[in-house]
Amino acid sequence: MRKLGAVFRREFAERVRTKWFLVATLLAPMLFGMLLLAPLWLASRSKPAADVDHIVIVDATGRGLGQQVALDLAGGLQGGEPRARVREVEPGELSQALPVAAREVRERGARGYLVLGADFVTRGTARYAGANATSSLDMQRLRRALRDQLTAHRLEGLGVDAREVRSITSLDIKLDAERLTREGAGERGSVTAAFAFLIAIVLYLTIFMYGQNVMRSIMDEKQTRVAEVVVSSVPASTLLAGKVLGVGAVGLTQMTLSLLASLAMFRARAPIMTALGLPNVPIDLPALAPGAAVLLLLYFLLGYLFYSALFAAIGALVNSEAEAQQVALPVALLLVLSAMFIQPVLMEPESTVARVMSMLPFSAPIMMPLRLSLVPVPAMDIALSVLLLLSGCYLAVVFAARLYRIGLLMYGQRPGVRQVLRWLHEAGR
Amino acid sequence: MTATSTPAIEIRNVTKRYEKHVAVRDLSLVVPRGSVYGLLGPNGAGKTSTIRMILNIIAPDEGTINIFGAPSAGTNVGDRIGYLPEERGLYRKMTVRRVLRFLAELKGVRRKEADRRIDEWLDRLGLRDEAKDWGAARVEALSRGMQQKVQFIGALVHEPELVILDEPFSGLDPINAQALKDTVVELKRQGRTVIFSTHLMDNAERMCDAVCIIAGGEKVLDGALADVKGNGASHHVAIALDGGSPGAVAELLGASPHVAHVDDQNRFFEVELQPGADPQALLHALVGAGVRLQRFELMQPSLHQIFLRQVGATGVEPGMTGQG
Repeated sequence: MRKLGAVFRREFAERVRTKWFLVATLLAPMLFGMLLLAPLWLASRSKPAADVDHIVIVDATGRGLGQQVALDLAGGLQGGEPRARVREVEPGELSQALPVAAREVRERGARGYLVLGADFVTRGTARYAGANATSSLDMQRLRRALRDQLTAHRLEGLGVDAREVRSITSLDIKLDAERLTREGAGERGSVTAAFAFLIAIVLYLTIFMYGQNVMRSIMDEKQTRVAEVVVSSVPASTLLAGKVLGVGAVGLTQMTLSLLASLAMFRARAPIMTALGLPNVPIDLPALAPGAAVLLLLYFLLGYLFYSALFAAIGALVNSEAEAQQVALPVALLLVLSAMFIQPVLMEPESTVARVMSMLPFSAPIMMPLRLSLVPVPAMDIALSVLLLLSGCYLAVVFAARLYRIGLLMYGQRPGVRQVLRWLHEAGR
Repeated sequence: MTATSTPAIEIRNVTKRYEKHVAVRDLSLVVPRGSVYGLLGPNGAGKTSTIRMILNIIAPDEGTINIFGAPSAGTNVGDRIGYLPEERGLYRKMTVRRVLRFLAELKGVRRKEADRRIDEWLDRLGLRDEAKDWGAARVEALSRGMQQKVQFIGALVHEPELVILDEPFSGLDPINAQALKDTVVELKRQGRTVIFSTHLMDNAERMCDAVCIIAGGEKVLDGALADVKGNGASHHVAIALDGGSPGAVAELLGASPHVAHVDDQNRFFEVELQPGADPQALLHALVGAGVRLQRFELMQPSLHQIFLRQVGATGVEPGMTGQG
């Protein structure tokens, strides 16, 4: 036990003492912060450009619709002075008016010109030429102004009262999407999805990172030949356990520190957001029930155990970094495969794919937490998934322990699959 | 059996097979307590495999190994053994003191005690003085010679009763080699058992109380050094020249009817006489041929000669076994 402690302490202390640990620990909350702020920033960007109405309108409708559109673009009656310059022309003069409009756009530095032909009223066709023609948000804004004004014009033509018309066309729909949980409490759907995604990605990254860390630690001992002295002093299983626990503790420490730093940043968000020029709107944090938090931790620990055991076996088998990359590929692919299914499962957390992926030991550590944070998962599903994952861990650890001791002292050529199988068989005797 | 009479190591009929070859075949040997024991053999003879089995790093396929009377597997006897492997290495990024503390803790030494001993050793091997404390430096900042010293401290810091050194002289510069010899002598004086493997017969001959020669995984010969040399008792003559042409002397010796075998080392010859031959006749012949001699001495065969004779040309890879 004391020896296990010595191995554990070395793995833990040597890692925590590095500059990288500090950098990574501080970087994570910044990343979290950015992930939280990104939607706000995107939201502030998902409006049409402020000068979308800085255009020239060539109006050949003969009904003053150009003026109406200009007013609409400026924000309606309550808006400011319309910036769009309207040129009313006869339908016959349209072809001559266009080069004039183009020149005016150039001279005034406007965004473009909008052409309302004589058939706009009957067929609703218009034309726009401008620098922002590819901006879908700007075009959406123009289209809406055109549609609203044409609708108003037609309604008036049908004899509807002008005020009625305005109240009809200015109708704004707000859709508030809420997630339904078992308790019936509502949460904002988009926030939940983002949070679930974040959890899955963080799990994926940390399991990958610390699993590889264990592999590297074993490779290092093998390459520097320290392994022989160490293995002569402690049983290989103690050494392996100390390593996995030590590196795992580093992972937990790092995540705890990152979480605390993130919380601190969240508390002090007001000045940060002001500094970034973002509106200080309240950010909803999804509530995480204590039970869910425990499950999350469990999946992280088991997932880490499963993958670090596999990576440990690889570390013991290879002789160089280049070899390790090659041999670790199948294990890494299992993990990457799980990550690739994050998006589909996010979309359909109740699908068969989602259910199967949250059961298989290699993908469950990522998929089950993802599902758990999206939809209510039956307790039976969770129990079965944990059970399968536990068995997977057991097999992985036995596999790793058998290969570890033999592989550690084998230098030179990398063993082939057949030899590895032989070792596994022999070590099992 | 009393504790003192229990041998340090007792290996009985041990066999270790690898996939394509047998590394150790039916090996039995006894290392008495308090002795300096040499495990001799050409490269690939099975020395390292034997040592790893003693240390319980690998398990024998057959046979038993007892350390201080207890089976080497499954007991905590490892804490009483210090080991310097042939393939040496340390954690490069760790500081010297931390590495040594870790190695000591792995052997069950408490941290405070470990720190005290580490400082003692650092002082003793010149790795710490007022100007510079190499204990605080990272291993990778140390020269090769200094790293060897640190490795050596690592093997001894827990004051083991049994010290196992695998090819300890390989790669050592003369100064560190001398320090190693001094330490081995001191360990023996303290009543500890030292076992080391080597293919350098000169070192073994000077330092060992007992030896075991193995080749091809099998024991060729073992016992106390005096017995081993006595076993090989045939009359050997050491001849050293005082100037003159070594080539002509070599020819003369080769042609002499008194001589069974000549080991020609240019200015020095170790000659094995024919059974029943009179060394005086050989001396007479040499002097008669006008050879100027610096030394003509009847002697026991050197360990080197015994080794070559016992192991034979077949057991030695060419160029692998040398003297000195």
